[in-house]
Amino acid sequence: MLSVLALTSVVLLGIASQITAIVVYTSWERHALVGSDVRLSCSFFSWQWTSPDVTFSWHYRPDGAKEGIAIFHYVGGAAYVDNKGPFRDRLEFVGNPSRRDGSILIKNLDFSDNGTFTCDAKNPPDIAGRPSSVRLLVFEKVPVQAGVITGAIIGVVLGLLILIVAIYYLMRFLVARRVFSLSMSKHGKKGKGKEGSQQKQAGPLK
Amino acid sequence: MFKALAGICLLHLTTIFFLFWAIIDDAWWFTENLYTDLWGRWVMENNDNVWVYMDIPTSYRKDYLQAVQAFAVLSCLFAVFSLCVFIFQLFTLGKEKRFTISGVVQLISCFCIMVALSVYTDHFHRDEKNGWYGWSYIMAWFGWLLTLFTGIMYIILRKRAD
Repeated sequence: MLSVLALTSVVLLGIASQITAIVVYTSWERHALVGSDVRLSCSFFSWQWTSPDVTFSWHYRPDGAKEGIAIFHYVGGAAYVDNKGPFRDRLEFVGNPSRRDGSILIKNLDFSDNGTFTCDAKNPPDIAGRPSSVRLLVFEKVPVQAGVITGAIIGVVLGLLILIVAIYYLMRFLVARRVFSLSMSKHGKKGKGKEGSQQKQAGPLK
Repeated sequence: MFKALAGICLLHLTTIFFLFWAIIDDAWWFTENLYTDLWGRWVMENNDNVWVYMDIPTSYRKDYLQAVQAFAVLSCLFAVFSLCVFIFQLFTLGKEKRFTISGVVQLISCFCIMVALSVYTDHFHRDEKNGWYGWSYIMAWFGWLLTLFTGIMYIILRKRAD
């Protein structure tokens, strides 16, 4: 029974590695400041072991253009960067192909670098896959980072709550102190009042 | 008495579970080949059953999305906090007293998830006709209902003299 289970799992794994394609991951969008450097990451998932013939290629299509150009290619253990196009002397390979990382670094960004960068990775024999794209947006001023508004709202609400609870207990403490001193003087008045009423009540009973 | 207590705790835990699942799972809005929202987006390009996880596109109004995220997280926090307060009050409350504070905290949680859901419904996916709301969105509404119910229940409930 166990051997049948092991056999079926091996067969299924074998089939699975044939029908699932290579999956390439990049970010959806990257934001960067003019003049800064940006690292475009690219990785892939594949059922096969990382082959020594793994290839990474990056392709750039400017915003509004119909076609793009190839700007980077890694094959056979060597990285070939663009030395004629808009990224000459600005592109650097910072990935680690044996760890399935095909990231590139673009230095000294300009507004003309806005566009779509497509990464295509192939891991022979697993080559059937779809490239993944990341949009680069170059800003003069960095927009509000993700999570700042979220964190601010959470912090303000929790802070307000703690403040309200603290004020409540403070008020109770203060009023307790004042009530204590109030009851000292009230006790005198009340005592006289009670005695007076008791005498009045005792009167009709008699 | 034990049965009632176990029932109440179970109801509260179910509420917390609904809220957490609704907020963590990215399934507020569906179309045929994507499901998305609050934190990320799962996209199936080319109909080949390969799902890719992507960031939420910047066409979303960032401040509204982060407000929804913030109030959803706050509602989870307050729901858990009200459970702790309830257990604390179980041991420290005097006889025949009401669990007011637990009820109030639970109602704050209800308010927070209501704000999150209202902002989300009003500001996202309004003009998209070929999509529908997913299970996370519906579970968040159930979470709202349950927090409202348990909050009012805590305010009305009295500690029995056992």
